[in-house]
Amino acid sequence: MRLLFRLFKSFMLIGIGAYGGGLVTIPLIQHEIVGTRGWLLFDEMASLLAIAQMTPGPIAVNAATFVGFRVSGLAGAAVATLGVILPSLSILFCAGPLLDRFKNNKHVAFFREGLQIGVLSLLFYATWSYGCMAVGSVIDFLLAAGAFLTLILSEGKFHPIIVILICGVLGIFLFS
Amino acid sequence: MMSDKPQVVNEKKITLPEIFWAYFKVGLFTLGGGFAMAAILRHELVLKREWISDYEFMSEMSTATLIPGAVAVNMAFLQGRRMRGKSGAFTASAGVTLPSFLIILLIALFAIPYFQHPRVKAFLKGCSLAIAGQIAFAGFIFGRKHLRSIRNFFICAAGLIMILVLKAHPALAVLTAGFLGYILCWQRDKKEVLKKEG
Repeated sequence: MRLLFRLFKSFMLIGIGAYGGGLVTIPLIQHEIVGTRGWLLFDEMASLLAIAQMTPGPIAVNAATFVGFRVSGLAGAAVATLGVILPSLSILFCAGPLLDRFKNNKHVAFFREGLQIGVLSLLFYATWSYGCMAVGSVIDFLLAAGAFLTLILSEGKFHPIIVILICGVLGIFLFS
Repeated sequence: MMSDKPQVVNEKKITLPEIFWAYFKVGLFTLGGGFAMAAILRHELVLKREWISDYEFMSEMSTATLIPGAVAVNMAFLQGRRMRGKSGAFTASAGVTLPSFLIILLIALFAIPYFQHPRVKAFLKGCSLAIAGQIAFAGFIFGRKHLRSIRNFFICAAGLIMILVLKAHPALAVLTAGFLGYILCWQRDKKEVLKKEG
């Protein structure tokens, strides 16, 4: 019961911090699940994220289901998934009409600008913390840098999932 | 503030199973969340089914990105509410979340033993390195867009210091950056107003 409660709390924090969703959830998951709680090893989390990226649905939801299941079975999966979507749904439920009215208000725009910069620092932090853990050799670095450059040079024309799959296939040749 | 009347704009009544199925399908077939899903949702809801107008769709998308959490789920909630009130909101959110929940559950149940297979391990390692590149790419694109003033540099640095030096929870750092941005942008705005007034 306590474990389930902790799972719920952790994923609620992830749900609150994941402003904009997607990749922003990665540093939060790493901090909360690998760092603070120690529920997964970094490598397990990295595999999970790879799968989360390749399967349909938001990363945050996929990660919550997976971690929840690993920690405490079916109940854990349900609790964690609920935890990650509950913060935003409760905000929308309670303040939805308000949000609609105030979303073009300049004070809201100021706050939003700050949040976006906060997300940017989170992405920089993630590049560093995730990169340090994932990259262990020169070949690793070259592969990651190659993915980075491919994405930049193609300016979004290459779907990230294609880049991930190509790197995976290269990985089979390089690492096994 | 909870007494929001469902804003049904459509004359034809959309049933809950219809809503559930539409979102379930989108959730099942869209790789990647958020903005990838937005394009498909627009196709399904605005163009194909004509359940909501393009303007409403865009307006709801901006509200969905205004608050934290998975953009796809937020969007489903808002659109569901527009179509069928509160029950529609929860039906749509459940519909869009359920496919990824079930798929990951299946993977967790049946595929985990294979993760230790050397080839699979090597494949996943390659993938996880690509994700490192993808995160760096997101930082690059986002940074190019937002780091255009000393103020924003300062907010970004403050966020990084909170996480790296003060070891604050990353979620707290994002919120702090939000408040900092609010104060600084507000000051800028005040100055501009003063200038205009002479």
